[in-house]
Amino acid sequence: MDNKLIDIQDLKKEFVNEEVVTKVLHGLNFSIKKGEYLAIMGPSGSGKSTLMHILGFLDKLTTGKYIFDGQDITSFDENKLASIRNEEVGFVFQQFNLLSKTSVYENVKLPLTYSTRLDKDKLTEEAIRSVGLDHRSDFLSNQLSGGEKQRVAIARAIVNQPKIVFADEPTGNLDTKSGTQIMEIFERLNDKGHTIILVTHEQDTANHADRIIKIRDGLIESDIKVEKRRSVKEGELIK
Amino acid sequence: MKFLFPLKTAYGALSKHKVRTALTVLGMIIGIGSVIMVMAAGEGIKNYVTDQISSFGTNIIQVEVKTPNVGKTSVQNATSMAQGLSITTLTREDAEALSKLSYVDKVNVGLIGQEVFNYEGNTKTALIFGTDQNFLDVYNMVIGEGYFLDETHVDSQARVVVLGIGIKEKLFGKSQAVGKNVKIRNKNYRVIGVLEEKGIYFGMDMDSVTMIPVTTIQKQLMGVDHLTYAMSWLKDDSYIDRGIDEFTEILRTRHDIEERNPDKYDFSVTSMQEAMGMMDSILGGISLLLIAIASISLIVGGVGIMNIMYVSVSERTYEIGLRKAVGATSKNIMNQFLIEAGLITFGGAIVGVGVGALLAWLTAIIAQSQGIEWRFSLPPESVIISVGVAVAIGLIFGLYPAKEAAKLDPIEALRQN
Ligand SMILES: Nc1ncnc2c1ncn2[C@@H]1O[C@H](COP(=O)(O)OP(=O)(O)OP(=O)(O)O)[C@@H](O)[C@H]1O
Ligand SMILES: [Mg+2]
Repeated sequence: MDNKLIDIQDLKKEFVNEEVVTKVLHGLNFSIKKGEYLAIMGPSGSGKSTLMHILGFLDKLTTGKYIFDGQDITSFDENKLASIRNEEVGFVFQQFNLLSKTSVYENVKLPLTYSTRLDKDKLTEEAIRSVGLDHRSDFLSNQLSGGEKQRVAIARAIVNQPKIVFADEPTGNLDTKSGTQIMEIFERLNDKGHTIILVTHEQDTANHADRIIKIRDGLIESDIKVEKRRSVKEGELIK
Repeated sequence: MKFLFPLKTAYGALSKHKVRTALTVLGMIIGIGSVIMVMAAGEGIKNYVTDQISSFGTNIIQVEVKTPNVGKTSVQNATSMAQGLSITTLTREDAEALSKLSYVDKVNVGLIGQEVFNYEGNTKTALIFGTDQNFLDVYNMVIGEGYFLDETHVDSQARVVVLGIGIKEKLFGKSQAVGKNVKIRNKNYRVIGVLEEKGIYFGMDMDSVTMIPVTTIQKQLMGVDHLTYAMSWLKDDSYIDRGIDEFTEILRTRHDIEERNPDKYDFSVTSMQEAMGMMDSILGGISLLLIAIASISLIVGGVGIMNIMYVSVSERTYEIGLRKAVGATSKNIMNQFLIEAGLITFGGAIVGVGVGALLAWLTAIIAQSQGIEWRFSLPPESVIISVGVAVAIGLIFGLYPAKEAAKLDPIEALRQN
């Protein structure tokens, strides 16, 4: 087999709400290699989040094919999808989607609740440390700043050591310094071999990736390789 | 661990809404509490009645008058009596004939009436047993002061009376009664004895009854020849079946009844065992009915749980979506909500058993303070059954909301935020 992790063929998505049909994605074709760092850009409402949800097994496509690691995902049943969500992918939502009145620790540990792994506490502590929040472990999620919340969401996405991490505008609501901290985390994950797919509307942020796909009105506008990948400067690293 | 985690999650979710959880649990407590209380009360009544009947001894055959064409049960009989029918066919001679049987040890007869007693202008109405020297044995009573009726009193229609302690105190207060005369229908009756305190026996306050010789009440007060009942002690209870047959035969012949048809008889012959069996089935029926009524509150509690689970599911749609997004299966979600429902019912059931048992125990204490020998008893199987039923109700009523939760689509659910 080749090293395609994700292969998308003529993917279309429409939403049907009370007989109103909203066509969002009109036929996308692309593939993503293992270990790739991909940025997806596009104007608001172009369908970026919708695509991420489909790629991240959270939503179903309407027509087309999604081949994941060589398998057509339409053949997967509910339990198989749940186990992929649990073990193979990590998802950082556009809104942080944390459980309020629940500690940072419990939030990060949540995916492990449904896992058979034994070293749950160790993995949780590791994930929290890797986003630099060890000192906030016992804080309730509603007591955190926006940047901290985003880092908790990232820790939760990587706690299962997934093959692939999806991040939907992880730096969207953050100041430059917090944004840089977050980009550093993704860079480190990518260096360790994780595939990263990141949505952003900032060119600077997208330049951290190997490749940029631009979407407009549900279609791919461009798909280009980044010539000189940007790296977080040493001086801006956390710790 | 695999089992403990969902339990911890459920506990966490419930403790976030303490008041709401407490109210739902309260519904369950009331349901279980009333079922337990009714079960314990049923058991208590059963024990009480059984104790009373068996304190009579199992070697007794009772003959009572009854209106022909009615069944043996006392309710029907009492109804006919209340309608003014008075059966006058059972006599001392009948009792005499029964006592001649070789296996009959002794017979006690009685005619029950009501009279006004007068002592120095102080008047009281009391129940009178016209009876004989064997009365104390029937009612398990003891003479406290003086002595009881004897054979010569009966033979001579003596105007003597034995008083229950209650009626004695009403007429005489603290002062001496034995040896004094009380007036019944303007005639003097000498008080020869006062009974020891007895309390309620067979639904009758035995401390406020009085006893005079059966012949005296028949001839001097009522002007009749008949009896209300005759109780026979057999030498031992192996004669019971034979006794019932032979008693019936003797009385049928003596009363000139041709047909061997119990419906036509003007008497009933019952053994204590039979009475006990009858009481048992009546009480069993009553307590079943009461349990059924109490169970309604259990169902209401179950509906309360269903309601709360619905609120909880719709409030936590977002949480459910998130859990599914990070890998929870539908089954995981369903279990989570079922465990919450189970935890509420189990908690409610445990407290409910405690509350119900406490109330039943208090009932017993109060009854005892009223002189009723009521023992508190809570059969362990009733506890197990009602806790089991409660948890089952919680799970059944929690199932539908839990299923709704499990069905949610992760992205749809997350959009509710
Ligand atoms: N459940 C839904 N039902 C109907 N329409 C939907 C639904 N979800 C998304 N859409 C529509 O699909 C389109 C794309 O939405 P999407 O969230 O993917 O955009 P986006 O590219 O992520 O935008 P942004 O940059 O603002 O996050 C929008 O027009 C939106 O209204
Ligand atoms: Mg979006």
